[in-house]
Amino acid sequence: MGGTIAPDRILHEMADLWVSLGKQGEGQTGVLRACSMTLVVAAEESDDEQAIGETLAALMPEHPSRAIVIRFRAEDQRALAARVFAQCWMPFGHRQQICCEQIEVTASDASLPDLAAVVLPLKVPDLPVILWCRSPRLFHLEAFPLLSSIAQKVVLDSLAFGEPPAALRDIRAALARGTMLADFSWTRLTRWRELIAQIFENRAQLTNLARVSEIALTYSSPAPTASAFYMAAWLVDGFQKAGVQPRVTFASTPGPHDRQLNRIDLRAQGGEPIASVGLLEGQAAEIRIGELTSRAVLPPLTDYALMREELSIPGRDPVFERALAAAAGLALS
Amino acid sequence: MPLENPFQDPLRFERRVPECAMVIFGANGDLTKRKLLPALYRLAYERRLDAGFAVLGISRTRLSDDQFRDKMCASVKQFLEDSPFDADVWTAFAQGLFYMAGDIDDPGLFPALEGRLKEIEAARHTGGNVLFYLSTQPSQYIPIAQGLGAANVGKGQHGWRRIVIEKPFGHDLASARELSDKLHDAFEESEVYRIDHYLGKETVQNILALRFGNGIFEPLWNRRYVNHVQITAAESIGVEGRGAYYQEAGALRDMIQNHLSQVMATIAMEPSATFRPNSVRDERSKLLRSIRIMKPDEVLQNTVSGQYGPAHIGGEDVPGFRQEPGVKPDAQTDTYAAVTFFVDNWRWAGVPFYLRSGKRLPKRVTEIAIQFNAAPLAIFNGDEVNTAPNLLILRIQPEEGISLKFLSKRPGSGMNLRPVSMDFNYGSSFGERSPTAYETLLLDAIIGDATLYTRQDMVEASWTVVDAIQHVWDATKFEFPNYAAGSWGPKAADDMLARRGHVWRQP
Repeated sequence: MGGTIAPDRILHEMADLWVSLGKQGEGQTGVLRACSMTLVVAAEESDDEQAIGETLAALMPEHPSRAIVIRFRAEDQRALAARVFAQCWMPFGHRQQICCEQIEVTASDASLPDLAAVVLPLKVPDLPVILWCRSPRLFHLEAFPLLSSIAQKVVLDSLAFGEPPAALRDIRAALARGTMLADFSWTRLTRWRELIAQIFENRAQLTNLARVSEIALTYSSPAPTASAFYMAAWLVDGFQKAGVQPRVTFASTPGPHDRQLNRIDLRAQGGEPIASVGLLEGQAAEIRIGELTSRAVLPPLTDYALMREELSIPGRDPVFERALAAAAGLALS
Repeated sequence: MPLENPFQDPLRFERRVPECAMVIFGANGDLTKRKLLPALYRLAYERRLDAGFAVLGISRTRLSDDQFRDKMCASVKQFLEDSPFDADVWTAFAQGLFYMAGDIDDPGLFPALEGRLKEIEAARHTGGNVLFYLSTQPSQYIPIAQGLGAANVGKGQHGWRRIVIEKPFGHDLASARELSDKLHDAFEESEVYRIDHYLGKETVQNILALRFGNGIFEPLWNRRYVNHVQITAAESIGVEGRGAYYQEAGALRDMIQNHLSQVMATIAMEPSATFRPNSVRDERSKLLRSIRIMKPDEVLQNTVSGQYGPAHIGGEDVPGFRQEPGVKPDAQTDTYAAVTFFVDNWRWAGVPFYLRSGKRLPKRVTEIAIQFNAAPLAIFNGDEVNTAPNLLILRIQPEEGISLKFLSKRPGSGMNLRPVSMDFNYGSSFGERSPTAYETLLLDAIIGDATLYTRQDMVEASWTVVDAIQHVWDATKFEFPNYAAGSWGPKAADDMLARRGHVWRQP
């Protein structure tokens, strides 16, 4: 691995890349360059390179970006290297080629303080920078804020962080420092939350809201996951807005998917069921409201699906921020 | 009771959908099988409907609820586009499907309907909200509206009642007004949803985003920069067994009066102050009322009526319109219509809007082409290519998307230009399936968003324009057929544009 990266050289290589792509398209209709952001991916060197590449390729059509993938090695010696290439696809019946550029950087932990100076000139002017941090170890490195300060938004996955209370505490602290954050543990709940919200869109069910005295959350892990704390915090917040103070219970049972929320039960006094949402085998969920039962297919929670949702929210997400603060409080209490 | 749902998160959730029951008249018909039920199932699959959403199908055929569910299951499996069929989702969705046999001429039908709706409301918690969908022959619209009105089913004691009708909204101005008056006996105008599935297409909606979400287009969107506009809706197929119906309608009434006029209004309307349904519809309506009504002596200069004759296409003999089953051998029906409209307002004065629609044209394509004025001075060689005008093309089908054509220098030492195209394609650019027009429009009707629906004043404005043409055409004996199946229409249509120095695009 070389010792330095010259951003000017990378930019020059990218310009050459576009010229060469253009020459390949000569005689046809040429190559279009599309870009809506700079997407920086911070990953461990051991992280699955192919999986990251496939996720970025899947994201490109909807969120075309200049992707900068930084692969870190836990090493004390300063080391940096880079290469550039393009991701292309043929959207118009193979008539027109659209390409996005990708820069791959390999770095040692010791080089982290130098990386901000590398990424800054490489970001696309006038467009947002999103940092997807795939490793909790990197997030906890002392110099990480130097890199994250370039980004408008930092995307994390607290599921990889280990103990949920500590993870939620650290993420809440980062938020308090002014970093705009997203956590996949929260993103995984969107379809669940939407199903719950849809139940109370019905006026007959809205009248039942005041009767809810217990929220029971079931998950498939020995202790409550970050997602379970988020869900509890969000539900309690919603009920409190309606003047209701239900108690929350957590329970662990085996479920169809590892370390996931399995079931939410809303009950009245005496355990009378009001509504429930439960995960079934595969990607299905069952919604029970009194005697009514309906089924829904939940989309698979791949990195692509989660990232796609987060990239569509470039600004602050006040519902998440409120839930994070309350979830951390709940987990640490 | 809380007045607002405290769990909504508009940043991440889809639009809020209220509880309701939908009553489909003509539940055994083609539209229900091919479009409505597949769209409703897809909405259920996407978790877009209330858990208690119910459908009550009405038709003359005697069927039990279970038989109706089985029929609809087969239809959904057959006509579901780009979507998987999930048996469990269907089973849960089908619990909300009910059926009632009945004849709309039977006065007992409507009180019985009210009784059935009460049962469904109690079982499915539909809150008294009912969407009536008239998937029937247009001749049944008035009897159904009258039946609903007489039995007071059109007015809910609690909850809302809305009615959706399909085109044609009358066959001329007088019949459109009569239909409207009868509908208004049972429903307020705000409760009447006249569906135009063209307006539900993503690209048509995207016209609004393109025009009013971007700052760069609107300054160019006027007579100073736009040379002319072409709106084309071409079909490669013939009347496909609908000859008897079609010979009473024709392309002018079937396409230009509704779909293409609405598309034109969306392209040419003034910016709406808000995106509220009535605000947008007010602007569309104003535009339609600004279309110059042709005087009888102007009609034949500014319109072309056509009818396809037989041809040999791809090794196959294709019949002419008059040879189609159910069509009279001397039918004067227009299977092709082209018109030149002018909009009498400050923005568009003098800019021709060319609209054409036809059957048995070379390909199925619907698009809007906005041709801008050429550069005022040709400083580069000056040949035809080097002065080619800029074109903004909005493709509605088959591939929804937008293209901008402009000139670029050809690589090399000379200053030679070539046209290049910048394309944006909906399906591939956003990587996910676009909802079908019926999914969009049905959900809009359930939510109560009438932005993409046609209002009575818009219907009347477009009939006023079209009637002026139709009256002259009715009094003219055309020499039909005047274009061969598989061609781009009659030569007279080319001549109509040539008189103003323009040519039709061949999409």
